[in-house]
Amino acid sequence: MNCDKIQERFADYLTGDIDEQSRREVQDHIAACASCRAEIEDLTAVWAKLGVLPEEQPSGELRHRFYAMLEDYKGQVEGAGTVSRRARVLSNWREWFTFRRPSFAASFSAFLLMLGLGTGWLVSGGGGNSARLSSLQREAQDMRQTAAQSLLTQPSASDRLQGISYSTAVRSPNTKTLAALVSTLNSDPSPNVRLAAVEALYLFRNQPGVKESLVESLAAQSSPLVQVALIDLLVEIREQRASEALKTLIKNEKLDPDVKKLAEQGIKQLI
Amino acid sequence: MNGGNPEQEKTGRMPPTDNELMEQVRDGKVEKLAVLFERHQAMLYNFFLRLTGNRAASEDLVQEVFIRILKYRAGYLGESRFVVWMFQIARNAHVDFLRRRKAEVPLDDHAAEAPSREPLPEDRFEADQEAALVRRALDRLPEKKRELLVLFRFQNLKLREIAELLGCQVGTVKVQVHRALKDLSRIYFELQGGKAT
Repeated sequence: MNCDKIQERFADYLTGDIDEQSRREVQDHIAACASCRAEIEDLTAVWAKLGVLPEEQPSGELRHRFYAMLEDYKGQVEGAGTVSRRARVLSNWREWFTFRRPSFAASFSAFLLMLGLGTGWLVSGGGGNSARLSSLQREAQDMRQTAAQSLLTQPSASDRLQGISYSTAVRSPNTKTLAALVSTLNSDPSPNVRLAAVEALYLFRNQPGVKESLVESLAAQSSPLVQVALIDLLVEIREQRASEALKTLIKNEKLDPDVKKLAEQGIKQLI
Repeated sequence: MNGGNPEQEKTGRMPPTDNELMEQVRDGKVEKLAVLFERHQAMLYNFFLRLTGNRAASEDLVQEVFIRILKYRAGYLGESRFVVWMFQIARNAHVDFLRRRKAEVPLDDHAAEAPSREPLPEDRFEADQEAALVRRALDRLPEKKRELLVLFRFQNLKLREIAELLGCQVGTVKVQVHRALKDLSRIYFELQGGKAT
């Protein structure tokens, strides 16, 4: 067999996806042909080198955008009159960001007004006082946290989503805000809200107790969507303690097969 | 594995295949696309990242693929593996991306060929000299060869499936893969400073 014919098989040879006879023919040939032998050695080397390129994980933002897009699409398909509850929740959530919600616009204006008054008071009171400025900033953060905590207890899912979004604007949340987020994650009736809580807690993963809460929450979740988000997150932050929780999770017979697969992969990645 | 379990009586124990899910999406259960998204978003993202070297653009492209899947869902025939169909869409999205970029950057060919790669974080890529070198070598391959190698090496596609994707004979793909690898190996060793192995 000539060199061209043999070289045509190199691609198969490299992947190992080759039948026994062809493999033997390639091996016999390269044993006798120095140039083909040199070539397959080069190709094998570069094939292996390609393996050093690491896999990256897309950001959580991509998942957010995908689900928003899917909800939009479902809304369109189902017709303007019968927009799904989830689509409404999500579009409210987006509107909140774009300040289109009148009640939010009003409360945000009030907030800005207060901040403006505060700054005015600061300037008139002798300006340049950084201690006062930082205390004002702290106050603003506290207000935000209180607002977030109160929104999280509202009966409407879109209000609770607002609460979560509010909490993510806080730089270092206090234990009360964190507890409210964790309790939302574990017991909110809406999977969308729980999903948003996963994202928010991801931002606060370095706060004390948050990682533990995320691990513990695995057992509390029933929606595959939230389970997937949690598993992804725990694997991404390489939370070793999640291994046990994942092992318990996969023993659950009611577990969605896809989630089970992901959990099994996760266990391997966490070793 | 397939023993009857009363709790799983509805669907059996095997998770639905990609093709089954896509058929459901086609037939109106669009929410099933979420499962396909969860299964393939990382793979697609890495496919685009290896082609473009740009994280933000890669995420945009993944999103674009799923938008197109919804748009063209009625035309899904399920004749080949779902991922082959998905990669067909992904390739088209990438071609459109390149076209847009070319229109945006009316410079010489070289500038259009090699986009400013966003520096990847040090702890991941650059610190790993070898990976950085492989990346640079891959970047220097012409677009088509790079795409072929990325499909072949990383996406778990069979040569037969790549042939289907590219619309050519399996033999042609084998020859092209061989040439692309040879080129890559030459470029890699050149970048390395001519040292063999």
